[in-house]
Amino acid sequence: MSDFKVNHRDGEGFSVLELKGYLDAHTAPDLETTFQKLLTDKKYNIIVNCKDLTYISSAGLGVFMAYIEDVRKNRGDIKLTNMSPKVYNVFDLLGFPVLYEIYRDEHEAANKFRQQSKKG
Amino acid sequence: MSRLKKAALLIASGTLLLLVFMYDVVRLTVELGDGGIALLREAMVVAAMFCIYAFMREQARKGIGAAIKEIGRLLMFLVSSVLVAAIVGVLPGLGFSEGTDQALPQNSVTAFFSLAVSVVVGVASILSLLTVKELVYHKRKRGTRRNFLTYLVLLFATAAFSLPMFANDLAFLGTTSFVLAVIMIVVNAFRQNWIVYLSRREKIYCIIYSALLFAAFLALSLILSNRTFLQKAMLFFSGPMERFVLLNSMYGAVYFGMSFITTLFHLPTAEAYERKQSELSSLHNLGRLVTQVFDFKDLVNTVTHVTREVSGARSAWLELIRDSPKASVVEVVSANNITAGEIETVMSNPEYSPRQFVIESKRSLMIDEVGVDRRTRHLKGLGLPIASLLSIPLVSHGSLIGVLHATKDIAYGFDQDDSDVLTTLADHVTIAIDNARLIEQSLERERLKQELMVARDMQKRLLPQRFPENPAMEVAAHSEPSLEVGGDYFDFVHLDEKTIGIVVGDVSGKGVSAAFYMAEVKGIFQSLSKMTRSPRELLIWANQTLRENLERKAFISAVYAVFELATSRVVLARAGHCPMVLVSDGMNRLIRPNGLGLGLTDGELFERSTEETVLTLKRGDVCLLYTDGITEARNPEGVEFGYDRLVDLAVRIKDLPAVDIQNRILSEIGTYCGKTGPGDDLTLVVVKWHGTKSEG
Repeated sequence: MSDFKVNHRDGEGFSVLELKGYLDAHTAPDLETTFQKLLTDKKYNIIVNCKDLTYISSAGLGVFMAYIEDVRKNRGDIKLTNMSPKVYNVFDLLGFPVLYEIYRDEHEAANKFRQQSKKG
Repeated sequence: MSRLKKAALLIASGTLLLLVFMYDVVRLTVELGDGGIALLREAMVVAAMFCIYAFMREQARKGIGAAIKEIGRLLMFLVSSVLVAAIVGVLPGLGFSEGTDQALPQNSVTAFFSLAVSVVVGVASILSLLTVKELVYHKRKRGTRRNFLTYLVLLFATAAFSLPMFANDLAFLGTTSFVLAVIMIVVNAFRQNWIVYLSRREKIYCIIYSALLFAAFLALSLILSNRTFLQKAMLFFSGPMERFVLLNSMYGAVYFGMSFITTLFHLPTAEAYERKQSELSSLHNLGRLVTQVFDFKDLVNTVTHVTREVSGARSAWLELIRDSPKASVVEVVSANNITAGEIETVMSNPEYSPRQFVIESKRSLMIDEVGVDRRTRHLKGLGLPIASLLSIPLVSHGSLIGVLHATKDIAYGFDQDDSDVLTTLADHVTIAIDNARLIEQSLERERLKQELMVARDMQKRLLPQRFPENPAMEVAAHSEPSLEVGGDYFDFVHLDEKTIGIVVGDVSGKGVSAAFYMAEVKGIFQSLSKMTRSPRELLIWANQTLRENLERKAFISAVYAVFELATSRVVLARAGHCPMVLVSDGMNRLIRPNGLGLGLTDGELFERSTEETVLTLKRGDVCLLYTDGITEARNPEGVEFGYDRLVDLAVRIKDLPAVDIQNRILSEIGTYCGKTGPGDDLTLVVVKWHGTKSEG
């Protein structure tokens, strides 16, 4: 229905998902498939870049909830970046900042992953 | 009327013949000459024969039977008339005096028998003409009628020219027309179309009949061409009639001789023709069947029945491939003259069964010798009456939906024709089955729709039917799922006489799954509200319960406000839900204490993150509790309604009664969204605070 796209690219020691468009109950399965694939490939350090994400519904938020536990169990994380104020508000309303690390940009998130891997 | 007419015709012909006979008796002794009176006698003979002809036509009006019956009747009549003539020919005491040009009867008895056999043979001749005409006119083409009428004209001309007045100088007329008539006989002998339409059995009869008719007509022709008793008798009775009978006998001989040969040639194709006929009618029936697909069992049974009919198969069965979620399953939906066990045996070759071949190749398979083919070799010696097999795929939109099988108990039982006709049949069947399945699906869809309507009613009943009635606070509420059922929830709890709790919740996602959680949430809230008056505590407990029961990607946002009438306070906790809108004199606020959605995380983090807020209300204050369906409602351009519009609107209409405030907000949102609708579940609870009187 509405346009939604997930672009996947790999950085050094982490994977980046770029979300674009409208993430709701109809488009959520696309994102789920992508996450599923990352987990199958044992890529647990995931940065989700929300720069071009225009809308996220509760079903869209549910996708992150579905995978965060598995990712963290494998000593990885899902970090969110580049949120527009509107999208951030939706995350914030639900209390996501308590559950997820949210950064201004990819660079910050990538640095965080590097630090963590040094400690680990 | 018809009976009267027939009686009159018989009497007329009888009378005329009697007069002719009387004339003949007189003629034996008295010379009457060849003048006008002789012509009058001929006229009476013709009139008498015409009356008999008219009588026969009247008789035939009862209806013309099948060609073969007509021929049978003619044969019987002809043979008996020839027999009569033959018997009369050997009767003692009869004879003709041999004159120079014409033989005359020795006595009046001979004259009588001459008349009798002439009439009998004449009637047979008329009958043969009528019968042959019917046959010739079958499937007539251009020229059929013309040729036949030409023959008739020449026939009568030849008869007429045999009158004494045309003797001598004009004799060539008779000879010429006779020769021309014979030519027309040959021309008309090729009109044998009717034979094609006979069944095989009828064709066999036809061969016998036409052979006998040929023989009988030939015999009659020969008898009349030689100086036999019959010839003499007929010449004496009526020269023209002798010509008439002779020509017709020749025609009969030629025509039925041709019939005999033609039928002989058609005999090998008789079976094929018959089968084409039945194929045609069966396919026609099936075409009709395509529209009668409401009973699936009837449909598939007819299919196997028709399959046997058109191919002459001993048994037939239809297998459909049903796509279940895991694998496609082959199911025999109809078997005709074969048991399920036998089908199982036929397909039991583990390496490669005929069914597998058709499924994999989507092509038809013809096995001429079951005992030899590697796919069915295992059947050899099992005693099954299956010697050849034909399997046809049913292909709909490029995918295989089933296989139609037919068997015969003789090897090489099927030919290319069978394969072709069954392929055509399979196309029809595919359409019929597709249609039947579509109907089934739409019935199923209708049923599901009904079920959803039931669910919708059930869910409506989960929402409070009675609203709090208290002079201190006025409450209005509305909830509308975007699909049949939804995940929005609101409820009222009377904690005590002066304390009312209001909860609004929103399950993530939409539709049926959300609706189930919504019902669960109601149960949890109703029971927990009796255990604590603290909204924060209630949410913490609710989170614990839901965390264990929700699937991972599901969560619930909720806001719980407890209104204390005695103290004019509202205590509020929020679990990831939209903030409460508070419209107060001069101060319009979004009340948003920290809090996580329910089911997102374990107890400890939730407890740490969730706060409780206490507000004091004043008379005229308006509180809005709602779900994100309100704020995220979009206009056709995709812009959300948002918090600002909601608050502005609430400020403008805050003085209206609670119900009106609610209706205005909902109608504004309806207008805002336009035709597309809100697109999400939508819930709104409006509380208007009047306060207690003591407050002033």
